[in-house]
Amino acid sequence: MDDRKLAFFTAIEDQGGVIVKETPKFDLDLYIQNYKGRTRFERLLHIGRSSVPLCVDALTAAVQEAKAGSDILRYQMAVNSLFQAAPNEPEAILDKTWMESKEKENRDTTAHLQAELQSYKNNMIKESIRMGTEDLGKHFQSIGDVEAAMDSFWKMRTEVSSTEQLVDIGKLLVRVAIERRDWKSIGSHLKPLNMVNDSDPKAKALKTYSKIANGIAALGQERYKEAAFCFVEASSGVPPEIYNQIASPNDVAIYGGLLALATMDRHELQANLLDNDSFREFLQREPHIRRAITQFVNGRYAACIEILESYRPDYLLDIYLQKHVPKLYADIRTKSIVQYLKPFSCVRLDTMQKAFNGPGPSIEDELFTMIKDGKLNARIDAINKSITPISTDSRQQMQSKALQTLENYEKQALDRIRRMNIMAADLEVKGSRKPGGMNDISLSMTMDDTASLA
Amino acid sequence: MDARLTVLTAFPPAAGIDNEEYYQNSQQHAKRVRELIRDNAQWIRESADDILKHVNPAVYSLSYLMILEFLLQSPGWTSQQAHESLASYMAQFFLQFDARQIRCKGSTWSDVLKEAYSERGLFPASVVVELVTAALLRLDPSGSIITSHHCNLVELAYNTGNVGAILPLIEKPIIYMPAKGMSTAQPLCDMSLPPPAYINPDSQLTDALTSAAVLQYDFLCGLCFIERRMWQQAFDAFERCVTYPTRDGGCSKIMTEAYNKWILVGLLLTGKPPTLPETTSQAAKKIFATQGKPYKLFAQAFKSETAGDLVREFEVINSELLPNEGNVELAKLVLAHYQRWQIINLRNIYTNISLEKIQERTQSAETGAPLPTVEAVDQLVQSMIADGSLQGAIERPKDGSPAYLTFLSSPAQGMSEVEFSAQVNKVMQGIKALEPIIETTNKRLASNREYISHTVKRQFDAAREHKLGIQSTGGGFEESSFHIEEEEDLMSGLPAH
Repeated sequence: MDDRKLAFFTAIEDQGGVIVKETPKFDLDLYIQNYKGRTRFERLLHIGRSSVPLCVDALTAAVQEAKAGSDILRYQMAVNSLFQAAPNEPEAILDKTWMESKEKENRDTTAHLQAELQSYKNNMIKESIRMGTEDLGKHFQSIGDVEAAMDSFWKMRTEVSSTEQLVDIGKLLVRVAIERRDWKSIGSHLKPLNMVNDSDPKAKALKTYSKIANGIAALGQERYKEAAFCFVEASSGVPPEIYNQIASPNDVAIYGGLLALATMDRHELQANLLDNDSFREFLQREPHIRRAITQFVNGRYAACIEILESYRPDYLLDIYLQKHVPKLYADIRTKSIVQYLKPFSCVRLDTMQKAFNGPGPSIEDELFTMIKDGKLNARIDAINKSITPISTDSRQQMQSKALQTLENYEKQALDRIRRMNIMAADLEVKGSRKPGGMNDISLSMTMDDTASLA
Repeated sequence: MDARLTVLTAFPPAAGIDNEEYYQNSQQHAKRVRELIRDNAQWIRESADDILKHVNPAVYSLSYLMILEFLLQSPGWTSQQAHESLASYMAQFFLQFDARQIRCKGSTWSDVLKEAYSERGLFPASVVVELVTAALLRLDPSGSIITSHHCNLVELAYNTGNVGAILPLIEKPIIYMPAKGMSTAQPLCDMSLPPPAYINPDSQLTDALTSAAVLQYDFLCGLCFIERRMWQQAFDAFERCVTYPTRDGGCSKIMTEAYNKWILVGLLLTGKPPTLPETTSQAAKKIFATQGKPYKLFAQAFKSETAGDLVREFEVINSELLPNEGNVELAKLVLAHYQRWQIINLRNIYTNISLEKIQERTQSAETGAPLPTVEAVDQLVQSMIADGSLQGAIERPKDGSPAYLTFLSSPAQGMSEVEFSAQVNKVMQGIKALEPIIETTNKRLASNREYISHTVKRQFDAAREHKLGIQSTGGGFEESSFHIEEEEDLMSGLPAH
């Protein structure tokens, strides 16, 4: 890595960014072809600022992508990043002429569309107002003013005259919400899409769009199991063009597969993923994910983890997945260790070390943390270097729970009776608040007993 | 025998008379003894020793008590010798008296008992504490009702460092509170009466109490248990203060002080921050959340894997709070127990662990760092095994490899059906034993104005709903838990019978 690049990535790392030094397995050009719209730039910039080997290519492509659009801020951002990483690249120089002409063009378009919309409003033609607002919103989004875009799309809702229009607005709002990483609002924007009748020919496509968008939103909010179900319920029969502004079919396979591995047990994985014809189609695009799932279901956990580890750099370059990769991988690893230990009465630690030799701490430390956090019910013999899973004795549990319940009942009953007697003897601690009043309780401390305590 | 002595031994009557007659006899006897004392004051003062030799305190308790009262009030009884004699009479009486007789003369008994712990100094504090404890347990062997004597006793015992003697009394759970208007139509000497029916301000076996006195009793009990390192009992005592019933947004200073100590004792007892019981009043919860916050943060830091957080929190509260609230020693003990709990919790992870590993995995909150040597760990673990806090053994292999700790598995590995049934029956007996207590409380509530108005209102509401044909969502009074006031839900959380 040359000095400029090193300085560039050091600065990113200092800001809390993730740096991926390994070369990913995907081809950048083929990868970006899967997407349409503003997500292309976002993904290119993200890869450029994360991947050491792809940095220059991705940032150069990001500059070109920005220059093909109207978002001057994005262009500046891409050029700036490229300049820091590779100042000698021709794209690393700001094209001020383009920026000035684009700025003027954007300003003129905004004024034109606003004037047009105003004239529609004056004429009070509902459909024209809706279309004019939509054009203005799309224009705002294309120049990077997402707040104004959101505002315009929101205003369209008052002018709708059909369900289809409501659905279109929902999709527009979802795209802006994803760009703003406003995960919580996505569910409500998707409501019109979910209300479409199944008999509608577009229902399948809309449902898939909704599932994928919902999945991304749930992933953003760390609701992993819900997200996994969203992705595995997407239909592979729907053309990718329907949803490629937010994700690609490959993403559906990766997101769905990884999240399912982290949250579902072997039976669920078999039923919801491997036996799911539709999701199998997605998995064919990412055969390694299918292999990882199959290995897990077949109890070959180490092989599953090995496959996933080899693709870790790829997933760390994904715009939505990056933040969650460590947690998801840790969950999958924990689940694998728990499942691995299940059939044994005792396992040697060196055997486990070989099976789960990961980049993290030693297996003993990992098992220590897992047991302490309640994720694994086992005991380590640090002298004989072995681990013994503890089997749950349901009968003993029932017995101790029953006895505990009875004992608690007696204790609580005595306490309640005592309390009743205190009240019956009019010996409660009384505050100054009138019954039903709203006085500040902190003022109602009775101080009559302080002297005696002292 | 002197005819005067015959008067003194005329009560109790022979067996076979009913309670009513017994009570009447006791009152007549008391009247005769009073007259005898009035007419023969000189004789009693001069021959007290001889007289009391004939009046066995275990049999003729009433006469003995009245003579004692007279002697205590006699101005001539001030010499050292007289003091010693008087102390001896009183000790004999309180260790032997017949509880049935003294119920008929509660005020005199109370007055004489007060003399025992008065400033007159008839006894050293250690003796007073033992005597009063014995007397209160003779009066009510169940120890289920608090009296004004309990409050004075526990304060005296704690302040004079005689906690051991009162343990048999303060370990008994207090269920009843004395209140006026609790006397029944039955004579007080009826031995089937529940304690609140004969121990109340009307019978004068106790003075009326205030909420502050009851709270302070539990608080001092907590302090006494701390002194004896009886953490479970101390925790329960402070919890009674913390969950003490309140109304109209009230919360007492003792409650907040008890809350702070409850947190510290909870850490010592369980190794984790305690959770406030459901019965804690909302007003108290709010005040604890603000005033007890430093202690809560300290308790949260106890959960941390490194001792640094705990040490930092300790320093925060040590500057002002701990010395002002008398909690320095307790908090220091918590610091000392931090590493102990870390070692105890290792049993949930390891079956065998080397002492080096223990040194690596645990930290002392007294220094904020791991113990300096393996020998220090060895010493600590050995002390924990010796005091019973750790079920384990240190193994020292003969081949010279390092010593390690083996955790011993819990013996309770499931019971047979017969053992389980026996255990359940045992607990059920305890629950069945609550029946008379519940019956007594029911009777007591029946005379409570607020409870009656509440019940009438509930029945009225139920009847109105029934009349309007509205489906009641919460059920009638029988099904629902009842509330004496809005803030208190007395029966919620209890499983149904």
